[in-house]
Parts: sequence; C-alpha cells; structure tokens
Amino acid sequence: MIKIENLVKRYGELLALDHLNLEIHEGEVFGLLGPNGSGKTTAINCILALLKYDKGSIKVFGQEMTPDSYEAKRQIGIVPQNVAVFNEMNVQENIDYFCGLYIRDNEQRKQLVQEAISFVGLEDYKKMRPKQLSGGLLRRLNIACGIAHKPRLIFMDEPTVAVDPQSRNKILEGIQKLNENGSTIIYTSHYMEEVEQICTRIAIIDHGRSVAIGTKEELKKMIKTGETVTIENVIFQPENLAEIKELPHVFNLKYEEATITIQYSGGKHNLIRVLNYLQQQEISFGRVFSELPTLNDVFLEITGKELRD
Amino acid sequence: MLHLIKYRLLSTMRDRTSMFWALAFPIILATLFFFAFDGIGTDSLEDIHAAVVMEDEENANFMTFLDQMQEGDSALIQYEEMSEPQALEKLKDREVLGIYYVKETPTLTVGGSGLEESILQSLLESYNRNASIIKNVLETNPGALSQTIESMSDYQNLVEEVSINGKEINGTFQYFLALIAMACLYGAFLGFTTALELKANLSALALRRSVTPTSRLQLILVDLMVTFFIHFINILIFLIYLRYVLKIDFGDDIGRIILVCFVGCLIGVALGIFVGSLGRMKEGGKIGIILLVTMGCSFGAGLMMADIKNIIDQNCPVINRINPAALISDAFYCMSIYDNPQRYMQDVVTLAVMAAALVIAAFLVVRRERYDSI
Repeated sequence: MIKIENLVKRYGELLALDHLNLEIHEGEVFGLLGPNGSGKTTAINCILALLKYDKGSIKVFGQEMTPDSYEAKRQIGIVPQNVAVFNEMNVQENIDYFCGLYIRDNEQRKQLVQEAISFVGLEDYKKMRPKQLSGGLLRRLNIACGIAHKPRLIFMDEPTVAVDPQSRNKILEGIQKLNENGSTIIYTSHYMEEVEQICTRIAIIDHGRSVAIGTKEELKKMIKTGETVTIENVIFQPENLAEIKELPHVFNLKYEEATITIQYSGGKHNLIRVLNYLQQQEISFGRVFSELPTLNDVFLEITGKELRD
Repeated sequence: MLHLIKYRLLSTMRDRTSMFWALAFPIILATLFFFAFDGIGTDSLEDIHAAVVMEDEENANFMTFLDQMQEGDSALIQYEEMSEPQALEKLKDREVLGIYYVKETPTLTVGGSGLEESILQSLLESYNRNASIIKNVLETNPGALSQTIESMSDYQNLVEEVSINGKEINGTFQYFLALIAMACLYGAFLGFTTALELKANLSALALRRSVTPTSRLQLILVDLMVTFFIHFINILIFLIYLRYVLKIDFGDDIGRIILVCFVGCLIGVALGIFVGSLGRMKEGGKIGIILLVTMGCSFGAGLMMADIKNIIDQNCPVINRINPAALISDAFYCMSIYDNPQRYMQDVVTLAVMAAALVIAAFLVVRRERYDSI
C-alpha cells in the first residue's frame, strides 16, 4: 500500500530522514515508534506530499504521491498531531465540513457524519463548539473529522497526546475497530505501550532512520534481553553476585542500593532459579518483579538510549 | 462548492475577533469620533464680559454702539457700567476681560491677550475708525444704525468654508473618510485568518485541508471570494451606519461609493492574506505588521490628524498616490467635495491596480502545495 525507498529529507544542516525505507501492507496497523524529533511526522508529511524531500521515492496505492494525486487522497484520512478543527463550528458542522471535502453526495454524507459521531461517542456533544469540549473529547472530534469518509488508509499522528486514560482507551479501541472494518492505519507515537497494544507491525525510528521493523514479538527477539528480574531489599556479598551471574541465561546484572536487577537472555524458570538460590543461602529479600522485554528495551538496546530521552 | 461556501461563511462570520476588527471596531471608532467632534466648528463664542467706566457722559454714540454689540443673536459682548475701582477689581478677578473708558475718544484696558481681548480691541478700533459715520447716522437716521454697523462689520472677519459644488463641509469630515479607508483595510484581519487556514505550514487545520481531494485552487478561490464578500458587506453596513445613524453625508452617488469600497475591500483582504502567508513569523508578529500597515496608511489619510494628508501632499505627494487609505479617502473627497470625476477615476484605477497586484501576490503565496518545512 505504501512503499518508501531511500527517503532523504534535510532541514538545512539537519538530516531529518536518513535513507528511510518502509513498506506498509494493506490491513496493517503500522506503528512508527520513536522519540520526539526522530522523524515520524516528517515521514508522514512526505508521504502526504506536503513536504519536499531531497531524495528517494514514495508510492501510495502503487502510484507516485504528488499534491495532485486527488484519487489517492480520496482514499486517505488524516488525524494530525495538533487538533485541526474550526473553532467557530460545532462538532457536527466540523465533521460535515471535512467529510464534504471528500464526499459530494449530501445524503451519503449525512449518514457518514452520523456514523462518525457515533463511532467516536460524541452524540451528546454534536452541537457543542470545540472550545466547550474537554481535551479527550476534542481528540475524538479530531479523529472523527479524519475518518468520517471511511478512508482506506488512515494516518494518525500521535492522536492520544495529552489525553486522559479513559479517552485514550476509547481512542485505541476505536482504532482497532477501524482496522477491523478494513482500514489500514499508520500510527505514530512515542508511547510504546500504545504501539505495543494496537500495532500489528512496528518500525522503530531514530534520527530519521528505521532501526528495526517487525511485529512486536520479532522486535523483542532482536535483542538479547529475554527477561528482567528485579529483587528489592536484598543484601548480597560479592561472592553471591558472582554466583548469581553464573546462573543459566544470566548475561547482565546490576546491584545498587540493596536492589538487584538481573537480565536473562532467554530460558525458562529464571525467577524460580534465583529464588531457590536465595533460599539456599538463607538471604532475606523484599519485593520481587519479573518483566518480559518491552519495546523500550528494544529501543534501548538498539539505540543505546531510552525511548523518552 | 456550495458546501465550501456555506461553511466558510459560517466560520468567518462566527470568528468574533476578526469580525470585531473588520466591523465592530470601525463602528465604535466612528461613534467615538462623532461624539468627540460633536459641535466642533459650530460653537459660537460666548458673550465677552466687559466693564464700562463713564468718563464723558456726552459720548452717547459709543454707548449706542456698545448697546448694538450686546443685542440680538450675534451679540458679542455683555457690558456693565461701574466705577473705575470696581472695574479694575473685576478685571483682576477675570470677571470682566476689558474696561472701556467712555470719553470723546474711548479707550480700552484689558487684562490679557487672548481671543476675547482681541475682539474687544477690534470693536473699539472699529468704532474709532468709523466714529464720524456712526455719529452722522445717529443724527440723521438713528433707526439705520444697526444696518450701518452690520455693513461695516470689520470687527468680525467671518470666513465661511464652502465646497466647489456647494455641499456643506466641516473640518471633521476628513476624519470619517480616513475611517472608511481604515475600515476597508481592516479586511486584512479576515484575510489573515484565511491565510492561516490555507497554508499547511502555518496551521494543522490548513494541513488537514491540504490532503483532501478538493483542489487547492478551489479552496483558495472559495476562501478569497467569501472573505471578500463578507468584508464588503461589513463596509456597506459601516457606510449605512455613518450615513443614516451618524448622518455623515458623503454624497449620493451610490455606484461610485460602492466601486471605491469594492477595490478598498479587495486591497484589505489581499493584504491580510499576503502578510499572513509570509514566512514563519509568529501569529502575533504578523498581526503587528497588519496593524502597523493599516494604521500607518490610515494615519497618512488623516485619521488622527486631518492636515497630515495635505502636509504629505505638499512635501512628498507620491506617498499619497501609493497609500491605499489616502486614495480611498481622496476618492470619497472627490465625490463629496471636489466634484472631480477625473481625479476620482484616477484614484479608483490606482486602487484597482494595487488591489490586483495584492490579490495576485496573495494568490501566489497561498497556492504553494509543497513546503520545505512544516
């Protein structure tokens, strides 16, 4: 559905996109994950033919995307990062206006607008102006304006920024529903939990490059960390630490302020094994956590920095 | 198309800030002008209080002359006979502004050098110059004294200002014309908002509109047309307010009035789009530029100082020929005062050329489809 090859975009001296390669297939919820300033929005703006780029090619629906690609644009919906609605129009008017930029037929449009209002749960607010809506409701309106015409391809650029958890869940559920209804979604975020929750495939972007692409399982397999065990309020002697490091699959450990963090490269029963060791050595301990790797671990291991740095 | 027009109309008309500057502000300013200027140019001088000290009872002619000066609608003075010490005391307290000493050749003592004192002095000089005539009239035909005094009224230099076509004008008219020009240029605030919603590198709203299948040309044309139409209506409302509420008469040639307003509105709206589309300066900075340009032009047209237009005309006339506000007010002046169709046409053609240039410039800056950065 979208094919990006060797895309290069510079802002003066700054290299915003560095030979970016991506291929997005129909039916996916494709996540672009990266910290702020990594090039996610720039990539989207290039795909939408809003930004000039220095090198590379972008094909959408098999065609080169240009500002005049009206047929392609007819099948695209966009939910920009900043809420993009008319403050002087109410909820229904806003959705009707944007839907009308795609759908000429009045009757069809009327029905689509009602469906969009129901889809985002704004039935009780349709006569309200944007200024009267809370942040979460405003985000929902922003989404409704982008999806009312039932596009085949939807770009969602950080649609949950500054949204309360309840609205965020509603939005994420909605995105999954849109995907189930047949839309392909490109979702950018720096919230790894969201991307992990809804995306079928993920590209990790850093400094304008795609550093890893795959399903979340594939991405997690790319890194050494398989499991991380953390034990609090535990006192170790140096020889204990040496013995723990010798346990199967342990490849790294960190011990400071009476808390030990042990990283395993994989394997099973890692937690049981370390707890058995503590029991045998009659070492008392506090709380114990076991975590499987997150996308942040993936990002950390691949780029050497935290996702939210 | 109708869909776009309908919502553009709605959003622009509901945009309170832009509509305030484009419609409400000129109306408020006109009302303030109206009350501030109320009576200017029509005020008559209050009677000047003078004391009369009789030194020579026999100079009845001068007393008759003074009586004439304090009678009727055009009375200039109010005098009171009193002793010299009393008169001097009152002069000191500014209760009277001068003391006439009545003798064979009357004299005057004044306590200051203002307009009123000058008038008292003029009256005395007038009497002394024409004393023999007055004396003769009093002796032969006392009833004709009033007419005689009126006919020789060199105590009063009355210059009545009239226009070439005989229409009544006053000094405040110029302010209202400059205000109409300012109102036309304030369409820039509507144009500015339109620019923000057209350029994808300026707002998320414009970005969203840019990726729809509706052609850019169509969006630009609808926005330009609707914004211009609304502003044109604003100006017509403003003119109706001036004409029928404030009773400002700027002529009856509706066709020519509408033509000036039409090109004036075009310039205003296009100016706003042009400034709004320039670079990536912050919104506040651009509004500052619009205010600076519109107020600067309006100042040059005489909004704050009626004479400024004449001063510019005398020292650097080219400024008035390129200042749209000065051209708009001049066109109105040509209709209302000068009755000069040739100069009117010259103003309108200049305005039309400027409007066309600004509209083209505005179109060129907003039609861009791809940006270097967003």
